[in-house]
Formats: sequence, C-alpha cells, structure tokens
Amino acid sequence: MPPRRQPPPASGPWGPRPAVLLLAPLLLLTQQGVAAAPVGAEGPEDSPGLQDAEFPSGLLQQAARAALHFFNFRAGSPSALRVLAAVLEGRATVNPKKGCQVDLVFTTDHYNPEVGEEHLGKCSARVFFRNQKPRPAINVTCTRLIEKNKRQEEDYLLYKHMKQLKTPLDVTSIPDSHGHIDPSLRPIWDLAFLGSSYVMWEKTTQFLHYYMAQISSVNQWKTNDDTIDFDYTVLLHEFSTQEIIPCRIHLGWYPGKPLKVKYHCQELQTPEEASGTEEGSAVAPTELNNF
Amino acid sequence: MKWILFFGALIGLSVCGREKFFGDQVFRINVRNGDEISKLSQLVNSDNLKLNVWKSPSTFSRPVDVLVPSVSLQPVKSFLKSQGLEYSVTIKDLQALLDNEDEEMQHNEGQERSSNNFNYGAYHSLEAIYREMDSIAGDFPELATRVKIGHSFENRPMYVLKFSTAEGRQRRPAVWLNAGIHSREWISQATAIWTARKIASDYGKDPAITTILEKMDIFLLPVANPDGYVYTQTQNRLWRKTRSVNPGSPCIGADPNRNWNASFAGEGASDNPCSEIYHGPHANSEVEVKSVVDFIQEHGNFKCFIDLHSYSQLLMYPYGYTVKKAPDADELAELLRPAHLTLKGTGVQSGSSVDWAYDHDIKYAFTFELRDTGHYGFLLPANQIIPTAEETWLGLKTIMEHVRDNLY
Repeated sequence: MPPRRQPPPASGPWGPRPAVLLLAPLLLLTQQGVAAAPVGAEGPEDSPGLQDAEFPSGLLQQAARAALHFFNFRAGSPSALRVLAAVLEGRATVNPKKGCQVDLVFTTDHYNPEVGEEHLGKCSARVFFRNQKPRPAINVTCTRLIEKNKRQEEDYLLYKHMKQLKTPLDVTSIPDSHGHIDPSLRPIWDLAFLGSSYVMWEKTTQFLHYYMAQISSVNQWKTNDDTIDFDYTVLLHEFSTQEIIPCRIHLGWYPGKPLKVKYHCQELQTPEEASGTEEGSAVAPTELNNF
Repeated sequence: MKWILFFGALIGLSVCGREKFFGDQVFRINVRNGDEISKLSQLVNSDNLKLNVWKSPSTFSRPVDVLVPSVSLQPVKSFLKSQGLEYSVTIKDLQALLDNEDEEMQHNEGQERSSNNFNYGAYHSLEAIYREMDSIAGDFPELATRVKIGHSFENRPMYVLKFSTAEGRQRRPAVWLNAGIHSREWISQATAIWTARKIASDYGKDPAITTILEKMDIFLLPVANPDGYVYTQTQNRLWRKTRSVNPGSPCIGADPNRNWNASFAGEGASDNPCSEIYHGPHANSEVEVKSVVDFIQEHGNFKCFIDLHSYSQLLMYPYGYTVKKAPDADELAELLRPAHLTLKGTGVQSGSSVDWAYDHDIKYAFTFELRDTGHYGFLLPANQIIPTAEETWLGLKTIMEHVRDNLY
C-alpha cells in the first residue's frame, strides 16, 4: 500500500479553516508505509496507561491531550468541553529529522464532573510533534455526542447567564484555595478553560503538557455588545517541570462563533537568561493569535 | 490454584437484616500448604457447623478469616487443634463489634469529627494539624505518641505520630507514611491526618490494622514540609518547595523530593535555584529531608516507605523493583482497584524519597499520587477529602498487609 500523504492540519499558520465537527466514521488506521519504528498497542486496550518502551513514556497520552485541547478550542463550546478518558490504540512514527507523528484513538468524558459518568465520545487523531517545538499539528475528529441544536442551546443558556453577572465581577481567584467554585461562577471557569485550551495546545510539545490550575485574576469582564469580552490571568501547571506559568488571556466569545484568543505567558525567568526580555505582568499581549 | 473455588470467594461481611451474632467469633486460620487447605475446606463444608468464610486468600501465604457461630466454637477449636492448624481469634464477639459500630456511625453522621471537633472534611492550618496529632495521642495513649523528629528551615517542629503496640524498647519492623513533602498538594496532608485518626480508631476493631500493628510499628509524618505548607496558606497557594535561602540567588527553596541521596542531581531535577525541581546544593541539604533520613537510619528497621503526593491517581513503584521482591504486579493492580489508583513503574527518579528508601533496604517503597487526574489538580475541593482518604486507606492497608505477611 502506498504511503498516505499527511493531510494538512486543521488550523495554524497554514490559514484558518472553519470549525467543523464531522459525524465521521472512525479513521481506520492502516499500516504506515513510512519507515522507522511503528509502535504500540495492537487492538483495543482498556487501561489508560499504555506504556511504550521505545518512546518517552506517555507519548500516546501526550498526543491525546494535545488533540483534545485543539478539539475543544475549535469546537468553541464551553458547555461541550471534553477530557481524556482512555487511549484505546495508537501508533507512532518517528522521523529523526522532522519529528514524531502519532495516530491514535481515544475516548473522552464530559469535562464538567457534575454531568454524568458516561463516556462522551470517541475520537481519532493524527498529531505531529515537531522536534522540540511546541504547537503540534493536529487533525482530530470525534463522534458527536450532544446533538448540535442541544449544544447550541446549552451554550446560549450559558451566555445568557454570563450576561447577567454583575460587573465588575466580585472575585479574585477561581477556585479559591480550598478548591471551591461558586456555582454562579462555574461558567466563567468553563469559558476560561476554553480559552486556556488554545494556549495549552500551542504550548504542548512531545515532552511538555499542561493543566489549568487556577484563574488567578479576572482583569476585565465586558458584555457591552453581543460578544463576551473576557480578560483574565490563568495559572497553568506544566509537566514535567512542575512550573506554574501565568498566562494573560484575552478572549472574545459568542455562541456558535469561533473563539478569538490573544495571550501572553510569562516564561520562567532564570538568572542565566538575563534582562533581555523584560515584561511586566500588565503589559498588553504581544502575540496576535487567530484574530 | 483453583482451590479458591472451594471457598466460593466470599469476601466481606454478609450481614443482612435481623441476624444477630452474640458470642460469634472470627478466627484467622493460617494455611501453609495444600494439605492444610483441604483440611480446612473439610471443616468449612460441614453443614452442621455453619461456618462462613470471610476472606479467602489467593495465595498460600495469606490466612483465611472464618466466622464461627458461638455454638460451633468448641468443635471448631478441637478440630483445628487435632489437625495442627494454627489460628488466632481476631474478633471475640461480633455482635458487640456491630453494636459499637452502629453507635459510632450514628454519632458521626455526615462530617467526621474528633472529640474536639476537628473537621476531617476540611483543610487546616499547620497549628490545627499539630493540635489534632496531639489530640490523637491523647485519645489513644497506649497506641499513639507524637514525636518530634527535627525542625524545618524556619524552625518549625517536624512531628510524626508513632503507632506501636510493642513492649519496652523493642524495635519492631516499621512502616513510614510520608505526606505533604510538596506543600501545594493539600490532599496529601489532609489524607494523612485522616489516616492517623483511622489507624488509632480501628486498632482493636479492624482485623487488618490490628494484626498489622501487632507485628509492625507505623510512623506517620503528615507535614513533611511545614514551611512550605504555611507559605501556601499565607502567600502562595501553589508553592511546592521548601523555604530555604539559596545563597547568591533571589529564588527560595529546593524541591525536597529531588534532595534525597539517590541518583542525586540526575535527570528530572534542575540545578537552577529558581526551578520548581531544583535539587538543592547537595543531597540532604534541606533540613526537612535530613531529619527524616537521620531518623530512619538511626532506627534501622524500616521495611516500608510510602510517600503521598497529588495529583494523577497513580501508585508508583521505583526503578529496580522486581517481581521477586514484590507482590505480582497484576495481583497488586487488582487489589488496588478499589483505591482508584493505576499501578505504574517509574524510571530512576533522581533524588526522590522512594528511590532513596528502596536503595536503603526498605523494599516496599511506593509513591501514591492521590486525586484527581487534572480537573482541579492541586486545588481539590474539600468535599473530596474524605472520599479520597477512604479509598487511599484501602491501598495503604493492602500494602501494609502484604508487608506484614512478608517481613524480611
């Protein structure tokens, strides 16, 4: 079988494409004709910890997380966020000069823990990690679980709720130190997670991945015109350096429309990297992304 | 071996409805070989004795718990004696135990509290945790003592609770439970103090912890990094390291779990004082780490070291841990299922506590990564403390039982 050409990624510097949720059949992964070490699970596994002796441990998990961040961002729906449940199968192909391509199938759960325990869906993805560089190229499709109309309805309810919140928001960190999120502020957390998904996708590499630890400040919350204009600082927990990375994120959201995100993350200041890149935390974002 | 089918794998108490158990006892019977097992199955299967198997083991080396109705006590004892089967009575009166539990449960409805109202379903200050440790020692003076093993960089005491039923200066084989070494992992300290109260309360009632404490001592350090913990409460909720000063650097602290003398300064640690995984200027540079190292080495008879962290929900065993010395991985994974932990081997973890323990002949060395898997991460809501502690307890008991049955 001739080697498959790698399909262009769904987004990124190659130009924007409309967000598309396909009711696609699962990609049937065929044998890669490309040389170098294919790896990994033949057939479905039900344990989440697929170990792979030849690659950095958890490469499949890594790819799944990146794919999900990207998927969540492109879906642009704070009421339909997904998290990784389990990796079912995967293969990785390494090109020592260029990077590492991972094809995988995984299941997802609903992000919001209050919403039932059933697995929300199944996704298949192709993730390409460029050597040591972030922003993996991703092609991902997931089975649709929430009917499109229902999802839009949920989003719109969230939107209405958010429009009704008293501004300026009387809140510092979400959650507080004891892990508590006021139910009325839960939509803010979900929206922040949506924006952070974009950031976390862009920062992910073969070796680094992220979780959203806390919203440390809400700088601005505007709903003047139709769009929700949300400017906040989020703390990302980076594995496996264990660093906490503050990121200033500015997003614009309206139900059904693609999410707009600008962000700037503070990188770890080390004594060796001296004063060159001096940034104050209140400085306007210097990276213009996807507007 | 399929002999397990003889016993029908009844595990746990099958108490339903109005049945009463006055004077009924639970016997723990040692079975060392196939011959003894067939003798025991003879006994169990005899209709008139009405025995009820509570716990059937899956390997030879573990004993069988059998519920013996009071009317059958004499014949069973005679039989066991005549067949040369070793046994001990772990519960002397089941009904009394059940009545006691009922009372306790009604008393503890909802939130679990101690006599001076320490709420186990909440996060507490360092002072409150230390006070509660003292309170536990006071409530169970024959079992528990609060011991100062050293102090932190900022001169706060480091307290452990020692649980021991040993007489005099006996130095029994011991278990070390370490918690809160990374200060932001609050579920670790919270689980530890709950566990302390659990150990003390269940001794004499739960066969597992009772027999564990009959053979071993348990040392529990709920806050291995007191300075860091205070800092997370007062200044920065996400602080991880110690609060020691690094000469020549504006950055504070070293990662106490990269500071142990095992593959020190290797991969996975940083030599940059500003890094969250800074290993420190040299092994044991952090006084918090040195205090534990010194104590364990001076004691000389630790067999098990468990380090509680969050988050990820994993149970990790160190590099070099082989099947010969450990319970079979599959069996262990199965036993750990109720604890909601996934078993995982790690490579060398530079400067980590469990690698150090393992290297120092403490063969049962594990890292627990508690809840959750990333949703709340370090900021785990307080209403998950007790569920987490309860499921973790199942994992801890499993491991300690195995150590008890395989002392070396």
